Amino acid sequence: MIGLLVAEWRRTLVEAVRYPLDTLSAMVTLFMLFVGLFYGARYITQSPVGGGRLDTVVLGYAVWMLMMAATSDMGWQIQNEAQNGTLEQVMLVPWSSRLVFLVRGVMAIAGFLVPCVVIIVALLAVTHAHFVWTPVALVPMVLVLATAWGLGLLVASLGLLIKRVGQMMQIIQFLLLFLIIAPIAVLAGIGWHVVAMLVPLTAQVTLLRDLLNGVAVNHWVWLEALVNFAVTMAAGLALFGGADRLARRRGILGHY
Amino acid sequence: MAGINGTGPRTAEAGALQVENLSKVFKTRTGAIRAVQGVSFRVAPGEVLAFLGPNGAGKTTTIKMTAGLVRPDAGDVRVGGVSLYARHDAVTAQLGAVLEGSRNLYWRLTVRENLEYWGAMRRMPIRAARRRADELLELVGLADRARNTVQTLSRGMQQKVALCQALMHRPHVLLLDEPTLGLDFESGEGIKRVVRQLAQEGTAVLLTTHQLDVAQELSDRVAMIRGGRLVLEGATADVLTRYSQPVLTVVAATPWPTDVAARLMGLPAVVTGTDTLTVDLTDDQGSTLYRVLERLNPHPLVKIERHQADLAQVFQEVMGEAAGQIGEAASVALPAVPAREGAVTS
Repeated sequence: MIGLLVAEWRRTLVEAVRYPLDTLSAMVTLFMLFVGLFYGARYITQSPVGGGRLDTVVLGYAVWMLMMAATSDMGWQIQNEAQNGTLEQVMLVPWSSRLVFLVRGVMAIAGFLVPCVVIIVALLAVTHAHFVWTPVALVPMVLVLATAWGLGLLVASLGLLIKRVGQMMQIIQFLLLFLIIAPIAVLAGIGWHVVAMLVPLTAQVTLLRDLLNGVAVNHWVWLEALVNFAVTMAAGLALFGGADRLARRRGILGHY
Repeated sequence: MAGINGTGPRTAEAGALQVENLSKVFKTRTGAIRAVQGVSFRVAPGEVLAFLGPNGAGKTTTIKMTAGLVRPDAGDVRVGGVSLYARHDAVTAQLGAVLEGSRNLYWRLTVRENLEYWGAMRRMPIRAARRRADELLELVGLADRARNTVQTLSRGMQQKVALCQALMHRPHVLLLDEPTLGLDFESGEGIKRVVRQLAQEGTAVLLTTHQLDVAQELSDRVAMIRGGRLVLEGATADVLTRYSQPVLTVVAATPWPTDVAARLMGLPAVVTGTDTLTVDLTDDQGSTLYRVLERLNPHPLVKIERHQADLAQVFQEVMGEAAGQIGEAASVALPAVPAREGAVTS
């Protein structure tokens, strides 16, 4: 297991260091996207963006970036590996394919952390916003990422079967944006609690936002975040396993 | 030195690959395609089985089912008696594969990084993977290229590295799908040399190729597939003998005299060139050649040789017979016919 982690980390790191332009262009794109949205919104509305809570806007964007990376990386990897012809070799190794791609998803985020911090610092500098990171926010942050990896497995499942995940990711990135801003987790009533347990990420993002803002967190939100993580990850693992079996039955693992 | 792939001879059971009654039907929009129908064979440790067939015959589907990349509708694959489908991880740990049309490697990583990566992915400790990578690169003559990215290598070098990655974990069974396709003479010879050595050390090798000369040179046994069915299986030498014709070619040192045809009248001999003739031994009782030679005496001769079929001729003949028997359309439902040892099924 350690060998698998080390191998994937080294591969991620080597590719990032050897081809810095890929990382750099992603960073510039993400930075420019926010700056464009920020100044565009300010110009159109002629008023401050975020209603005075610019820090939460930057934080939301940072969370969205990480969620996007965690959700999409496994699917992109499967598409690229199928295109390049290495996917079948990956599926030949004596590890569960679920574990291999989950580890790859984790390593992709580990490799993205430094660029992500650089982007956040640049955004804070441009917007003159600031926020204080509290260690207690680490738990919901990990929950956000772990749930996004579960979602990533769902995307990767489709990637195994149809390979081309590009179009799918276009839709998913807006869906993720909706999940970040949808206030489902704070709605009262058992029905809404159940919905929050099933709709991915809303509870985790609410939890993270409240903890960073020093707001007292409702116990329901903790429960919703934990249950939602478990549900999403279980669904991702189950679906990926099913997609793997189906792709092998149809003989389409190596297709692109 | 421990050799390429082992530390000693393997027992027949421990390293053997057994493919049992594999069948696969692919459903398409236009109907079902019976890609593979009841294919069985065994590759013993130290044996190279050449698995041959025309395009679309079911070779790649069979090799992918053998690797576990395609799940069969029926049948089983066993390595050392253990079922691939019952204990996937344990069996794939004993398999190495170089897949056709597949790059098998990460082009952005160096040769050494690739080998270490694939070694670690096959549960090798990092240090052991590093040592093994050095050992294999030395063997295939690419030690000086260890720090080059794979994309900068020639096709032949890439194929050698792909072979090394398949050998990192010292697999008992090696699956090679078109390993020498598109390689120059030197690279092809390098790959063949490694395959020969692997077999000598006890690795069971399943080889598919369209290059029949390569198959003939490397294989101990040969199996031919057409329309998803095995139509021939046997020891390569036996198959070649079986398909060789009972014909002798006699070559003269100088052109035949003008009356040579008249001299051979009544004998099963035909002049085929200014200095060659053939003798048909189909009904030979043991004296035909002597009688022909008596009639030719004292014309100087340089060579008498018996016809020896090569795998290309066998392939052509077997595929022609098989096409006549099972038809061209692999999608037509047909009852399974077991392959006969060393002969076309009938």
